Amino acid sequence: MFKPFIILTLAFLSGCTTVVIDEYRRSDGELAAGDSVVILGRRHSSDYETEPNLIACVGRELHNPEMGVNIIPEKEFVDIMYPWFEPRTAPMHVRSLDRLMENKEVRERMESYGVKYIVWIDGSTETTASAGSISCTISTGGAGCFGFGTWDKESDYEAAVWDFRDRELSGKLSADAKGTSYMPAIVIPIPLIARVQNNACKGMAVQLQQFLIPAARTSS
Amino acid sequence: MKYRIKEDSTFHLAIVVLLSLIVAACSHTVQVEGNYPAPVGHQLPLSVGIYLSEDFKNYTYQEDSEDREEWKINTGRAQENLFETVLGSMFINTVSLSEYPKDVPANVELVIVPEVRELQFTMPRETKVNIFEVWIKYDMNAYDSQGNQVASWVITAYGKTPTAFLQSQEQALTQAINIALRDAGATLYTGFEKVPELQAFLSGKVRSASLQEFKVKSPQAE
Repeated sequence: MFKPFIILTLAFLSGCTTVVIDEYRRSDGELAAGDSVVILGRRHSSDYETEPNLIACVGRELHNPEMGVNIIPEKEFVDIMYPWFEPRTAPMHVRSLDRLMENKEVRERMESYGVKYIVWIDGSTETTASAGSISCTISTGGAGCFGFGTWDKESDYEAAVWDFRDRELSGKLSADAKGTSYMPAIVIPIPLIARVQNNACKGMAVQLQQFLIPAARTSS
Repeated sequence: MKYRIKEDSTFHLAIVVLLSLIVAACSHTVQVEGNYPAPVGHQLPLSVGIYLSEDFKNYTYQEDSEDREEWKINTGRAQENLFETVLGSMFINTVSLSEYPKDVPANVELVIVPEVRELQFTMPRETKVNIFEVWIKYDMNAYDSQGNQVASWVITAYGKTPTAFLQSQEQALTQAINIALRDAGATLYTGFEKVPELQAFLSGKVRSASLQEFKVKSPQAE
């Protein structure tokens, strides 16, 4: 009886978000048994940083050993490959992988983990505008807030899929998400949060899944 | 009179407690702990002594300027772990030296002594960017077995971390320092053979080793 009411309340309590995904594909994904995928964040820019929690979110959403998608967590991968995937040393282009693979120990380590694809995600989520004000007071009679606040968030991410074995760019996809959050306060502030970054993560994960296992797209 | 003295001391104590609370509220202490992975790659054919001084192992950066709150950042233990791990896996043989230049083992060909030159950091409200940034500069010195300086070079490390919901300034700064230390390790590892003096030292060592090998083989051939 309460289920529709709870769903309706949850839908009302979250702000609106729009997500646009674009894709450029050069070849279809081909993951064999034992192959792994690594999802890494670009951290070389000076004015923003690809959030580690977004990378973890995409990895969580994509990890599905039953469907043959085995994701190596970012932290684990950069630790086992230290210092070759640090912000300063990470290869910026697919052709840089050739030079890195001249190092025998690095090549053997990559092969032992069965790395087939490296997905580089670059971008960030930012608050682009905010307006309104909320004031709260505490007195002997009690406490309460009154006012209204709103803020816009924008996510802009680009993922490049590198085929490690063939040393080529398999494709690129971008995710742009926008959303407005509201916080009306009549005695109690009620946050209506737009989960912009989370929606961008889920959108990218769905698209990457279709990219890596084309069979998932045809069956769905 | 006795009563008055007691009242005064209680009053003074209250003021001292209050002032310490105010001072504590404006001061921040960061103790950086970190474990770092061993680098993947080949080992250089050298027997190296690593000397980390007590100043280096207990390094604490203290910020006490009028424009900023008071910060005490201890990176000693973390950088000790980093240098021992990275240098420890860079060479075929490494020895940790407790004293230098005394008591250097006979088989040590090169002694590496790092020192912190400076540490700097910026907070998001200073730069208007939602990022905590840290820079660390190390002076690296390498000496041969006779104590002569072979090379002196500088390592600059940079680390940044974005602001996060429910994350304190101390936690964010610790994270940025750990990233900067990883960067220092990466620069040390990838840049060691690019230092011209060390390059020359290494090729000299390889040349003398192959000459020795040739000398050993020659009488056998005869």
